Amino acid sequence: MYLPLLLMMVVGAGCELPRDPRHTLDHVRGKTMRVGITVNEPWVALRQGAPSGVEVELVKRFAQELGAEIVWVEGTESELIEALKHFELDLVVGGLTLPSPWVKQVGTTRPYFTSFISVGVASPDASFQDLSGRRVAVQLGDAAAALLAKKEAVPVRVHQLSPGDGPMAAPDWQLAAWGLHDTGLHLKQQKFFMAVPPGENEWLDRLERFLFSHRPSIARLLQERAAL
Amino acid sequence: MRPTHALEFPPEQEQSFRRAKRLEWLTIAYLLSVGVVMYLVLGSSQAMKTAWIEDLLSLIPPIAFLVAGRVFSRRPNHEFPYGYHRATTIAFLCGAVALFAMGLYLLFDSLMKLVMAEHPTIGNVQLFGQTLWLGWLMLLALTWSAVPAFFIGRAKLPFSRKLHDKVLFTDANMNKADWMTATAAMAGILGIGWGLWWADAAAAAFISLNVTHDGFKNLRTAVTDLMDRVPQTVDHRERDPLCDEVIETLRRLDWVEDTEVRLREEGHVFFGEAFVVPASEENLVDKVEQAMKQIAGLSWRLLDVVVVPVRALPDEGEGLQEASRRHRGEAAARRLLSE
Repeated sequence: MYLPLLLMMVVGAGCELPRDPRHTLDHVRGKTMRVGITVNEPWVALRQGAPSGVEVELVKRFAQELGAEIVWVEGTESELIEALKHFELDLVVGGLTLPSPWVKQVGTTRPYFTSFISVGVASPDASFQDLSGRRVAVQLGDAAAALLAKKEAVPVRVHQLSPGDGPMAAPDWQLAAWGLHDTGLHLKQQKFFMAVPPGENEWLDRLERFLFSHRPSIARLLQERAAL
Repeated sequence: MRPTHALEFPPEQEQSFRRAKRLEWLTIAYLLSVGVVMYLVLGSSQAMKTAWIEDLLSLIPPIAFLVAGRVFSRRPNHEFPYGYHRATTIAFLCGAVALFAMGLYLLFDSLMKLVMAEHPTIGNVQLFGQTLWLGWLMLLALTWSAVPAFFIGRAKLPFSRKLHDKVLFTDANMNKADWMTATAAMAGILGIGWGLWWADAAAAAFISLNVTHDGFKNLRTAVTDLMDRVPQTVDHRERDPLCDEVIETLRRLDWVEDTEVRLREEGHVFFGEAFVVPASEENLVDKVEQAMKQIAGLSWRLLDVVVVPVRALPDEGEGLQEASRRHRGEAAARRLLSE
């Protein structure tokens, strides 16, 4: 009774599973990769129509590994995911974070990078442990303002956050790039992922392996971009 | 209200019951571990989800057995003069309903996934520094959900026969059949690995059909039991031979001219009435009491069969006696044909 099961596993192991039902990897390798991008600094940026950013850089390296030419398609998240769902795109990036409503509709990588929205101060001496009553600068339109209010801090909403704004709430890599000290008070965790067409498991496997092996370079790329 | 007799398990049954209880505790612990393991590797596989739910549902029979086990052996009293034997069947009914309803829902869910042509995505995990396709972990989890289940089921089966316990019997068989679910799910996942997007939902549909079928069978058993159907053997193949034994024992008594019997099952035990036409009315009370003792002595399962003297047996329809004669004739014919 268990012989067929064992046979299945052995055969499976030998046959390079998983495979793509729609052969995405085969369509991309040595040919063209259709990548949907949505602007989200510093992950994806558009400078004079040319894409740049941390994730754009990663995708370029991935395409290089596969010997593929990239076709960039710019759009909103909803449009891009819709296209991805119908196999009109091969990959969608844009600083996508979990939790996300897209995980049920398309394929998603495991988080390849995690960061925290944290409170930063000018120097370790100015650090504090308790947020109540503290005035903390935060970018206008950032959900972090609500999180600060929940912790009884006083959010000061500014149009453009800059290094000299005193205690501020920003992603930890941003704080590091600006030379600020992280108080360790985390407001929110951000897990970044990329999206692929649903069910294309071989393609996903390839991408995940690439992202995993390039983890060290992500922090470096962030530093370079965030410092700008 | 005169309470009926208290149930006393003979030593062999007492031992079987104790061992069965231990096995059921083991089953619960094992199934909880399976639930956790499967949950960790579920991913977005429909087959895995269906197999996981089926495993969780198979927690119901062991729990039913253990709970009913504490209830049915309570002494009958003025509140419950017939005792608490039905507790087992009621627990069984609840489990059957859950199984049936869940099976239907899962079937619908899987078929929807096929109709909507959903392509399940199964990615990678990092384990001990290695990148591994989640599908392999799913296969391992499924093996854990099937192999021990088979052996546990096999161990419980003999006890279910000794105790004539339908809950235990059904539970044991469901455990033994877990390998079918696991194989279907494995085929589904390997199908996905191969690039067949529909394999997962198809496997899930197959598994849920199985669950629904099990649920329906059990529902039918529980309902007919509660409706006091004629007692059957624990595997429902045929009428319980104990019924015939009772009839024969009474017929052999010299003071009995004719007899008809009516029996029903409550949990492990039989209740019933035996109508006898006595040859004479001499010493009738003693003879009747003697007959009742003799019947009770036939088996621990004949808890309360009262003997009632009557002037004549009514002629309407086929009594248990005629049915028993017909049954024996049919059984003999079947044996002749198979030789």
